[in-house]
Amino acid sequence: METATHQSDESILIQGLRSGSEADFQKAVRLYTPGMMAVARYYLDSASAEETVQDCWVTVIDAIQKFEGRSGLKTWLHRIVANRAKNHLRKNKREVSADFSESLDPELANRFAPNGRWATPPSLRFEEDAESLMENGALSDCLDQHLARLPETQRSALMLYEAHQHKSDDVCNILDVSASNLRVLLHRARQKIFLMVETFQETGEC
Amino acid sequence: MLMCRDLARIASDYIDNELGTAQKLSVKMHLMMCRDCRSFIGNLRASTDLIQAHSSYKPDPELVRRIDEQVAQALNAKKN
Ligand SMILES: [Zn+2]
Repeated sequence: METATHQSDESILIQGLRSGSEADFQKAVRLYTPGMMAVARYYLDSASAEETVQDCWVTVIDAIQKFEGRSGLKTWLHRIVANRAKNHLRKNKREVSADFSESLDPELANRFAPNGRWATPPSLRFEEDAESLMENGALSDCLDQHLARLPETQRSALMLYEAHQHKSDDVCNILDVSASNLRVLLHRARQKIFLMVETFQETGEC
Repeated sequence: MLMCRDLARIASDYIDNELGTAQKLSVKMHLMMCRDCRSFIGNLRASTDLIQAHSSYKPDPELVRRIDEQVAQALNAKKN
């Protein structure tokens, strides 16, 4: 994942945004929009999420002047999106619904015998590392499809925690979930990806 | 005694080092004896690596274009 990891890169970018540089805005938009969409999609449908992220970028033009840099640009942007998305929800009197009651994926749960042992154990051995697995274009496409099929809540949690490398506290804050509910979302999403990779390795099909 | 199904429930917590000492120890004991659960933990960990390495999570070009346009408009409006 490409992000402005070096502190100096980030401060240069922030300077550019403060001075109203169009080129720097374009750079930042490409860098941070995926994460911002992951936040917005947790709360909103696709169209409202896009609208919210768009509005946020316009807000940033003025708000960046007051940005103190305590939290890092990414976290700051994600919080702006989360606040806007939550306001949007409130206005439309909708609520985020997610199932936090069971941490085991139903498909995986079926693979245990009544005595609690594996009836259908994991069939695959991971010998390749993730980077080389990703070079398999078909697997990468398959992963895209499965990520798209995850419930929004699970996907957002997974994206923020895994792909955008947020700390748990940050994700809980941005998504308004308790630490234990975040654990459920993450675990459920990972199991789905595990099942997908297993099927793919076994059959060569997505 | 921790069974395979119990371990599968808390596998992510184990991977992320979010378990308490006692639970962590019972997972470790189980993993020493159970090949299937070792495989499951390994695969689940690999799945998370896979998501981290998955770089195709790119923004929709159409959305990016619209944002560029709006930002440019707002920047120009500010200058004038
Ligand atoms: Zn076991």
